[in-house]
Amino acid sequence: MTTPLKLGIIGAGRMGITHFSIANALDGVSVASVADPSKLITTMLGKYAKVGTYKDYKGLLKGEELDGVLVCTPPAFNPEILDAVLERRLHVFCEKPFVLNAADGARFASAYDQAGLVNQVGYVNRWNDMFTHTRQLVEDGLIGAPLRFRSEMFSPTIIRDVGDAGWRASHANGGGAVFEMASHAIDLIAYFFGAPDRVGGTSLSKVYSKQVEDIVSTSLFYDSGLAGTMYVNWSDASFRKPTNKFEVFGSEGKLQVDQHGAKIHLKEANEKHGLKEGWNQLYITDVHSSVPFYVRGIEYTAQLADFVASIREGKPVRCTFADAAANLRVIEQLFADDAAIRRAGAAA
Amino acid sequence: MSAYNLPIDRIIFGDNQFFGINHMSQDKAQERAERFAKLENVMAVYDHAIDAGIDAIMLNSNDRARGICDAFRANPAKYGHLKWYPSIPYPHKYAAMVNDKGMVGAVQEILFAKGAKSALGKMARGASAVLTLDPFKLMKMLIDEEMAIYDGLDTRVVFLQNIIVDLMLGYDVPDPFVAYCEYIRERYDAWPGLITQNLPFLRAKLEEWGIEGVVICASINKIGYLMSPGVAEYEALLATNDGSKYPVMAMSTLASGAVPAPEAYDYINRLNIQSVVFGASSPGNIQQTVSLIEPAAKEAAE
Repeated sequence: MTTPLKLGIIGAGRMGITHFSIANALDGVSVASVADPSKLITTMLGKYAKVGTYKDYKGLLKGEELDGVLVCTPPAFNPEILDAVLERRLHVFCEKPFVLNAADGARFASAYDQAGLVNQVGYVNRWNDMFTHTRQLVEDGLIGAPLRFRSEMFSPTIIRDVGDAGWRASHANGGGAVFEMASHAIDLIAYFFGAPDRVGGTSLSKVYSKQVEDIVSTSLFYDSGLAGTMYVNWSDASFRKPTNKFEVFGSEGKLQVDQHGAKIHLKEANEKHGLKEGWNQLYITDVHSSVPFYVRGIEYTAQLADFVASIREGKPVRCTFADAAANLRVIEQLFADDAAIRRAGAAA
Repeated sequence: MSAYNLPIDRIIFGDNQFFGINHMSQDKAQERAERFAKLENVMAVYDHAIDAGIDAIMLNSNDRARGICDAFRANPAKYGHLKWYPSIPYPHKYAAMVNDKGMVGAVQEILFAKGAKSALGKMARGASAVLTLDPFKLMKMLIDEEMAIYDGLDTRVVFLQNIIVDLMLGYDVPDPFVAYCEYIRERYDAWPGLITQNLPFLRAKLEEWGIEGVVICASINKIGYLMSPGVAEYEALLATNDGSKYPVMAMSTLASGAVPAPEAYDYINRLNIQSVVFGASSPGNIQQTVSLIEPAAKEAAE
């Protein structure tokens, strides 16, 4: 029996408390400490969950011998946290979008790699069974050479004016539909095809927010000729939950997938995958995997179990700091493209 | 006799057909949302279920629940015999609040929602109220607020939603489970119920903590969908489970439609399961399901 892996959690918001529950229920893992500025949260956790509590990451890193940390703070705080964690030589799981600019992202990616530390980012769709399954199908050449794609994401996150108080209200804090939502839609594209080379025709629009965008649309291009579009809207009340939709058109067929199911149209039947000519329907129930403990979705447990396996057994990391840094490069291109188009519009 | 000494019903009519997310088709989901936006269409489905012999209803405390309960209360001659299995809370309400205000802000919003003179408002007065908060007192007040929707109905079990149960379960802390179960028995004279996607884990913890007399509602289907850690562990647990201490109610028996009903209930009928909750909207599907579910081998509590 190996000694339990000791994890600390920095930031006990919605994701932090979810990861606490999952990590604590995994075999061979114990959550030892939590840092959060909210006295309400740390008082409860100290009293009932009996973990060490700290008002910030500095206390947590000083106070406990840990193997790794889960960083679940608003991303504007992450550079100084990640510097301190690196100094302590700890493995890190960091919530997306990780940091707020590509330069910071690249710096941490190479520093953690050089230090031999596991570094993982919580783009959780990479652990959704529907997306992992269909990505493998595309990789196997099921629909031939991918030519076009469409990545969409919808949610009812901001469906009225909620004021400028929260950290979501400004880009400087990592708020806005680009950092919070489009980052997922970009990551799905990158998960299937790698990061695109450039973007064009970007439009960022407000519905309710004052400082940040609520709607994002753009086109994305690869030097290989592959191209696609992205449309993200976090002010769409017709969706009850955040939903990603992803479509790929290839030389031999077409695939449409979301978190729960996929439709596949093939020019020719594919025996290996048991798919027929024309339309095929796959449901999450056809491809679901099981996890030792379930909170909020299979993928949340699967990603943390992988983080633990990477630390213990050197399992390759499915979403590294480098992957997240590449997404941040695309995000910077979106902001730059939108600004350039606005300037051109104003000049004309 | 207290409700929590009575056996729970074998067949419960759920609400997923009205409000659930249809995993299989967005078009269908939209069609359904339009149809069930009208209360009369919802009530017509309940009438079909009652015609099929069902007299037990599980209903989540969502934003439609009050209107539905009002309709049931308005006609005691027709509906007074029904037994109720509410589930609380409506998780999306709190998720939206946390989105808007953050977690501490959400707690404050809940405390002040009814105004400073309400019980919650009184609790929240004073600068450090949130910091010195008794979480179990707050929990009880929130339960009362959700349960007000079902006032006057014959409540047999009060279920806590799986998003809360499973989140708390990971923390490995008995206190909130003990407090919930005791409060439901005392205040509502009903069985406490816990909905989970981790049945073996939850039951092991309840035994470890010495909590008995809890109805556990869990996804149970032959393909293992939403069953952590897996089918084999569920089957092993059910084979030896004492249904008088931990009556088990199966949900998601069709695994979102992946298993045909005859096959699904053939599987369920062979297991030591006390109760089944299902949702359907056509009279044919409701009747078929009722006919496929066999009576329990033994009742949950004599």
